[in-house]
This record gives sequence, C-alpha cells and structure tokens, in this order.
Amino acid sequence: MSPQQKPSRWSYLTNGIIRENPVLILMIGLCPTLATTTSARDGLGMAAAASFVLILSNVVISLVRKFVQPSIRIPIFIIIISTFVTLIDYVLQAYQPSLYKVLGVFVPLIVVNCIILGRAEAFAYGHGIFDSFLDGLGNSLGFTVLLVTLGSIREFFAAGTIFGATLTPAWYRAAPMLFFIFPPGAFLTIAILKALVIKFKLGKG
Amino acid sequence: MNSKTWMVVSLIITCAVAAFALAEIYAVTKPKIVQQQVDATNSALGQVLPSAKTFNNVIPDSLWYGLDSAGTKVGIVFRSGERGYGGPVPVLVGLDLTGHVVGLRVASAAEGLKETPGLGLKSLEPWFGRQFVGADSTVNLKKYGGQLDAISGATITSNAVTKGVTEGIRKYASHLTP
Repeated sequence: MSPQQKPSRWSYLTNGIIRENPVLILMIGLCPTLATTTSARDGLGMAAAASFVLILSNVVISLVRKFVQPSIRIPIFIIIISTFVTLIDYVLQAYQPSLYKVLGVFVPLIVVNCIILGRAEAFAYGHGIFDSFLDGLGNSLGFTVLLVTLGSIREFFAAGTIFGATLTPAWYRAAPMLFFIFPPGAFLTIAILKALVIKFKLGKG
Repeated sequence: MNSKTWMVVSLIITCAVAAFALAEIYAVTKPKIVQQQVDATNSALGQVLPSAKTFNNVIPDSLWYGLDSAGTKVGIVFRSGERGYGGPVPVLVGLDLTGHVVGLRVASAAEGLKETPGLGLKSLEPWFGRQFVGADSTVNLKKYGGQLDAISGATITSNAVTKGVTEGIRKYASHLTP
C-alpha cells in the first residue's frame, strides 16, 4: 500500500497485529509484557484485561475527542482510562471472583500500560468511533498474540509445559531452564522474537 | 465561553462524571465484594478443617474454632504469615484437637501471595500442601532433617510455609483444649 492512499478500515484492524505490533515493533508496553509472561495462562490473563480497557477507552476517547482541548488531553485520557480500570476491578471482584483470582493482580497494572495511552493519543483522538474500535481491537489482538507467544516460550523452557499441559520428558522437567522465568529470560526471549520479526519483514522486502 | 474557561470546565465535567460513575459502581458492588470475601474465607476454612460445620472467629482474621453440628469443638484453624521471598506467605492451617494438621491452604497471588511465579508460587500446588497433613510442630524440610519435599528452586518459600505451620501450632497450642 502506498503512503498516499487513504488507509482502509481493514488496515486499522490489521496494523496492530504484526506491522505495527505495539510491543514488538513500537516497543511500548514492555513493562507489563515482561512482568506477566511467566506462563502462557498469565500472559493471556493480562492480555484479556488490557484488551477490554483498550477497546473501551479507544471508543470513549474517540466519542469525546471534539470536546477535549489539546492542552489538557493527557489528564482527560488518564482519568478515562483509570476510571475504566477501577470499574473493571470492582465488577470482576463482585461478580466474577474466580476470574478475579486469576486476573486480579494484573488489573492495576493496566493503568500504566502505555499501549492504552499510546493508542488514545496516536489514534482515537483523531479518528471516528468505529475506526477507533477497530484500532483498539487490532492492537489488542497484537498484544494478546505476543503475550501468549512469549508466555508459552518462557513456560516451555522454564517449566516444560504450555498452558499447564506437559510437553517435555520427565528428565527435562526435573532440571528445567529456570532462567526463562526470571526478568533476564524475558528480555532475551523478546529480543529473539524481535530479531526474528525484523528478519522476516526484511526478507519479505 | 473562551477556550481557557472551557479547558477548566471540561476537566471538571470529566472528573465529575468519572467520580459519579465510580461512586455508583462502588455502592452497587461493595456489598457483593464483602459477601464474596466472607464466602471465600468460609470455603477456605471448610477446606482445611472439613469435620467442622461452623466456625467461630476467636481472634479476628487469625484464629477460628471449628464446631461440628452439635456445637462441639473439633479443631482450630489459624492463619499465619512467615516471611518468604517477596513478603509474608499467608497460610491457613486446620488442626485437630491433638495438634496435628488436618489441612493446609496457601493463599493465592490474588489474596496477597507475592512469591516468584514458576518458583515460590508453586507453593499453591496441591501436592505441597498435602505433605503437611498429619504433621505436628516438629515438621521440617528434608534439607533441615525433616521429611518434607521442598519446592525445587524455592527453599525460602517452602521454609516460610513450614515455619508458618510450626510457629502457629506452638503459638495457638493453648487453644486446643475442647
């Protein structure tokens, strides 16, 4: 697609998945990514909670964007995002305690996830509601795919399982590469993933 | 309205709407959240001391007497939190009246356990808690001459749970009389 062409709706949705993947390409939201991907299930939990907030905040910010002056847009974005995060925290605790047990530790982390503020600033503030919804959905998918991939790789090497399913022989699980569960393991894994994506993209020309 | 006034007004409106929404949701969900926590505590108490039908909270949030359907004391449940790798490790322990462990439950990460995922957090796995069934205040890890398997790579967490059990049994021994 040439840059002059008006970007299509389809590209709003797909941009966030690979071409402008928030974590791998734009390198934002690294903090929750590295912290919560110690297992595939935890990665999925974080991604699910963040996706919900990302899509909602994108839609609401796009809805109110005409009333928000540029000089105070950031405080207003923050208020909207943190309101949604707190709402979700209460609602999950009250109505879905079993889900809250899994996601609870990640919910407060969403406020500081810069993908959400980043999409509000870079996209939702200048686009319509439906486009912002698609952008939020696309970025959520990109974030989810990456977190589950990273979580699976780390869980596979550090515990010998993926989503708790045993995939390695007993001798491996007796002395696995625990290194991958620690922060350096996260940095190394994401660096390898990024290198692979760059090679893949360059290879395609 | 000039732009400076609108700037202030729009920020006030945003804050007011957000505060109103939060207050409403809080009012609606608070009783449910409290109820969920009570239910969670009761079900946890029932898990560690199944022979009891009702629980009498003697020391708030730390000690319960377990009573059977006739109102006779069948055991006690205590909560302890010895220092682990990332803070106190909250454990709920059920004892029969002879001072032996009937059941043990380590609180989940959502309930305040801050151990390393993949290492100390494995203290939540059922096999680890089951090892304590039947133990008394002399229980210890194999590493220190006892009979318990520690979680590989997480001796500090394993030791915190063990100490939580033994210290608790000593501390609350006087409550074991019927």
